[in-house]
Amino acid sequence: MDVPRTVTVALADRPVEGSRCLEAGAGVGSTTAGLLDAGANRVYAITNDRGHAQSTRERVGPERGQSAAANGKRSGADDRLAVLEADLRAIPLPDESVDLITAHGLCNVLDPPALSRIVDELHRVAAPGSHLIVDDYDPLPDDAAVRDLFAVENAASELATGRSALTFYPSSFLRDLFVGEGWAFDRERTLLDPVPWTASHLSAHADAAASFAVNCPDDVGELLAANADRLAAEIDTESAGRMYSLAFRVPTGQSRRRQGRP
Amino acid sequence: METRPLGKTGHDSTVMTFGAIALNWLEQEGANQMVEHVLEYGVNHFDVAPTYGDAELKLGPKLRQHREEIFLGCKTGKRDYEGAWKRLEQSLDRLGVEKIDLYQVHGLEYDEELDEITGDGGALEAFREAKAEGLIDHIGLTSHSRPNLILDAIDRIDDLESVMFPLNPVVAGKDDDTHDYEAVLRRANEENIGTLGIKAFAAGSWPDTDDVPERDRPFCNWYRPVCSPDEIRDRFDFAASQGLTSVVSAGDPKLVTMILEAAADYDGLDEAAQRSLIEAARHDDSPVPEQLHH
Repeated sequence: MDVPRTVTVALADRPVEGSRCLEAGAGVGSTTAGLLDAGANRVYAITNDRGHAQSTRERVGPERGQSAAANGKRSGADDRLAVLEADLRAIPLPDESVDLITAHGLCNVLDPPALSRIVDELHRVAAPGSHLIVDDYDPLPDDAAVRDLFAVENAASELATGRSALTFYPSSFLRDLFVGEGWAFDRERTLLDPVPWTASHLSAHADAAASFAVNCPDDVGELLAANADRLAAEIDTESAGRMYSLAFRVPTGQSRRRQGRP
Repeated sequence: METRPLGKTGHDSTVMTFGAIALNWLEQEGANQMVEHVLEYGVNHFDVAPTYGDAELKLGPKLRQHREEIFLGCKTGKRDYEGAWKRLEQSLDRLGVEKIDLYQVHGLEYDEELDEITGDGGALEAFREAKAEGLIDHIGLTSHSRPNLILDAIDRIDDLESVMFPLNPVVAGKDDDTHDYEAVLRRANEENIGTLGIKAFAAGSWPDTDDVPERDRPFCNWYRPVCSPDEIRDRFDFAASQGLTSVVSAGDPKLVTMILEAAADYDGLDEAAQRSLIEAARHDDSPVPEQLHH
């Protein structure tokens, strides 16, 4: 599969080759494919979404066959990929067991309590000297039309589940959060400026809003779903906001246990 | 308008090349106006071919009037010595000029063609003789076929001074070898071979002719172009920022002024914005290289 430039650029200055990697939030497998292409020794692609797990297996797993990338590296997954259906708040891997963690477009689908627990868990499985890449979106500018669609999606999600579907954390916020957890900040770079929200993105968000709306009380859900559809159709496409990439390391010799945490 | 060295030719081409196929769709008076319009923006590199209807004939009058201001590219699809000579003489005749600055092997598609062109009795023998006689100044090649074939051609044609190939965010977002024109760009730049980008404005293929007959297509392009000023600007900026010498304008006259405006205003595009355009087009279909003949 085609590995997005956002992924290759984020991975470019990290030691992926030969590493044990954890892709936190597998999505449709783009970052997993990027890690395998870049020569990862092992990739654990973790997601709690059955559909995403399946997509990743289909698109990146052995089913897509062995092929040599232009750089001569293997892109076939063979025995290097494990797609795990699991909750990132309880990662089914031992302490200090991975060398490189990627969270590509993950944090924006986590509300603060979930984010906090996952940050903790990522630090637990990270080996001393390991690397972390966090790629996400800055909050959208006030005049971005897509904000309205995301607001409707969040409203439906809040009513249905009691929590927000989307939270756009500023890069400085995530930087401070991970540094507070013991990661050493390494670098920040801009991946996309502006971020293209394509018609298929927007329609996926309208669908998400509709799926929350089903569980909203009274006829509020129907109104929200209709609003989401209308906004997605009206906006069609928009380029707005910024996607950034943060890179961190666990200082060598520093482990969770040595920090005396529980 | 910004100019860049066209490889080793000694010519500095404007960052936009005028694709003179646009003249084919205009009456002579309109064609004359179009050429003046393009020259007013400072464009100094024109590209034409005998296969563009009567574009050569319509370019002729203004070309002769402004011959010193125009670096003229032309090409031939003939692969053999005799055919290439005849076609070159025909183009010189139809254009009404003494010399073509850049004469290009046109539309290379198959390995066998490259064998024929480079072999005994091949088109390149004619090109080299014409160069010795002063009928052409430089030798180039165009292709929207497999990038690997273009790389082969670079390997096998020592006196190649320019290559013309597709480059746009759609093909840039695809990883496979069949879309890796960026490898061609890198290699050409390493070898100091001039690079001319085509299909910069391609949005995709046209619907099947059963759905939209050719006569009902809204643009005279063999691919479906982007057509709003913002999209044209994005596409121009993308292509120009990749390191091409020059970006060839789209074939439909309706698009030319928007492209001229974009070219005149071009002042770079940062990498995050380049990636944004690739990302926005990542799931689009590419009209190259699948649809080879036009």
